[in-house]
Amino acid sequence: MASTKEKLIAHVSKEEPAGPTNKVTVVGVGMVGMAAAISILLKDLTDELALVDVMEDKLKGEAMDLQHGSLFLKTHKIVADKDYSVTANSKVVVVTAGARQQEGESRLNLVQRNVNIFKFIIPNIIKYSPNCILLVVSNPVDILTYVAWKLSGLPRNRVIGSGTNLDSARFRYLMGEKLGIHPSSCHGWVIGEHGDSSVPVWSGVNVAGVSLQGLNPDMGTEKDKEDWKSVHKMVVDSAYEVIKLKGYTSWAIGMSVADLCESILKNLRKCHPVSALVKGMHGVNDEVFLSVPCILGNSGLTDVVHMTLKPDEEKQLVKSAETLWGVQKELTL
Amino acid sequence: MLVSWWYLYLGAQSLYRHGKTDACLRFKCRLIGDERERYVRDRVYVGHVFVHISGGVSLLNMASVLQKLITPLFSGPVEPPRNKVTVVGVGQVGMACAVSILLRDLVDELALVDVIEDKLKGEMMDLQHGSLFLKTPKIVSGKDYSVTANSRIVVVTAGVRQQEGESRLNLVQRNVNIFKHIIPQIVRHSPNCILIVVSNPVDVLTYVTWKLSGLPKHRVIGSGTNLDSARFRYLMAERLGIHPSSFNGWILGEHGDSSVPVWSGTNVAGVSLQKLNPEIGKDTDRENWKETHKKVVDSAYEVIRLKGYTNWAIGLSVADLTESLMKNLNRVHPVSTMVKGMYGIGDEVYLSLPCVLNSAGVGSVINMTLTSDEVSQLKKSADMLWHIQKDLKDL
Repeated sequence: MASTKEKLIAHVSKEEPAGPTNKVTVVGVGMVGMAAAISILLKDLTDELALVDVMEDKLKGEAMDLQHGSLFLKTHKIVADKDYSVTANSKVVVVTAGARQQEGESRLNLVQRNVNIFKFIIPNIIKYSPNCILLVVSNPVDILTYVAWKLSGLPRNRVIGSGTNLDSARFRYLMGEKLGIHPSSCHGWVIGEHGDSSVPVWSGVNVAGVSLQGLNPDMGTEKDKEDWKSVHKMVVDSAYEVIKLKGYTSWAIGMSVADLCESILKNLRKCHPVSALVKGMHGVNDEVFLSVPCILGNSGLTDVVHMTLKPDEEKQLVKSAETLWGVQKELTL
Repeated sequence: MLVSWWYLYLGAQSLYRHGKTDACLRFKCRLIGDERERYVRDRVYVGHVFVHISGGVSLLNMASVLQKLITPLFSGPVEPPRNKVTVVGVGQVGMACAVSILLRDLVDELALVDVIEDKLKGEMMDLQHGSLFLKTPKIVSGKDYSVTANSRIVVVTAGVRQQEGESRLNLVQRNVNIFKHIIPQIVRHSPNCILIVVSNPVDVLTYVTWKLSGLPKHRVIGSGTNLDSARFRYLMAERLGIHPSSFNGWILGEHGDSSVPVWSGTNVAGVSLQKLNPEIGKDTDRENWKETHKKVVDSAYEVIRLKGYTNWAIGLSVADLTESLMKNLNRVHPVSTMVKGMYGIGDEVYLSLPCVLNSAGVGSVINMTLTSDEVSQLKKSADMLWHIQKDLKDL
């Protein structure tokens, strides 16, 4: 006797349904991972989302909660497992796994804890998605992007760190507040190391192509009466402040990750400040990852925009590189 | 612009005449242009004037970057927001609602309210930092309800959450006391708003909200079985291999353990599942479709057991309701509304029925064709809810 389903639906296709075309995996279902997941889902970027973590109950609960929202989404398959086989054939893998910054803890202090976690995660990802693009979010992001690159064996265009994409977003938000303009119309790039020693490129700050430094040559210096330098300081302090107030940051980094995924999955070739291998650029001689403006598309990070930096800006990048290399060379990979 | 420079020159002159040397003056000047006054909101520009004895007014190093960059064309008083939503309670549910609403581009202003001030400020800052990726130019927060003024919709998620194994009805009195503080303040600042109540037990608390607010009944909605129906459609669709939006099925009545799946209405492309399988939903059904409804009821408990709370699905469902209300869509949603007078219910209780939602709130209610069994289930829920409600104090 035919089941209700058989009476209702006649199967006509002789083909196997095709696999996912735009699959995204999020590794780590903590606050950052889930914020990234919900942002990606609400932007309709993917046809399949996979979640991985070591805490099985939490993982299953999060997956169920997202599945229950399927009516309101356009992502038909949401899977989750401790086993990395669920991540197979991903186009983009977002790595948020790892310990988070404690109140007052700097990003560099997290390093070795997170390196050990990556030694387990990265090879498993590559095993099931050998052609994926890795997007590293865990902190300290510049070092961990290097670690992920080394452990994965992927070419340098397929390993990206979320870097100063968030710092630049915060900068543009604060700039927008100061000028009474929407952040998307305020242009400003914060590059280099994600964190305390990021570099705001004042010469590039503009609205409608009008250079703000041209209007205010003291911008970014101590002499500046409008104290634009404090805008950058607020960007650096933001993370610590939000962590102090609510315990962690999630929404902003989640949205910025979705923004990067959109450029990659839709092959937009948009320019974003993300962490890339910068050896040979701006006087950097070590194998380190720092944020520079990069073109992102479906092959990953294909091109880097060469910024015209002042000597002291380049010096800051070189100094960051040396600090990072100082930490990286002590790591056992 | 020229006139203001003139005033500055005069000011500098008079100081010079009074023998002030190397005076550094800061005075405020409004930008005044010819016959028309030009203000930039309430902005005030600070100018530094250095007067040197060596005669002649020198450096007028004034104009900030803002002034040099931008020429204001118009500014009257700041326009009030047209599409403002307030979320009361910044716990997991409140923030999931907030993020879903923001990412769906539904609002031009979002206000967050809570009693825990640090957490509240942190959440607001975290959302503000994502402004580049959003189309909501203003995100505010505060313990004081004045930040909620002029809201079109207020989503109430405040209250304590279900503990593992705790039924929704046990939460009641705890949450009533919180609402006595919240609701009057909301209505004071947004007397024309629509209230969406999410806190559990939602049907009782929607009644409480309606009583405390003094708003007409069509302006107070409970999120009700919107989420149960979404879960039902997801689970049924999974069994059939189709997308949830292509499976139609309604769960009505009480949000929770005694919700009513209306099997007669379940259909795909208009083909009634009950006609294909007359046993559907009964214990005699060999395919055990009834199990799917049971899974819906158990869902919340299961997710709470696994991760401690549920938030994403309820957040998405609230954003869906918000969309219908904001955009005046007249879409039909199963939400909690005042059902006295329907289906033989004589008490003032809130239960979920299919409601047509538009910018006035609940425009109308669809008259479902229910079996006598389904009607008696609704009546039973109504009785149980009234039993709790009648004992609530100080409404």
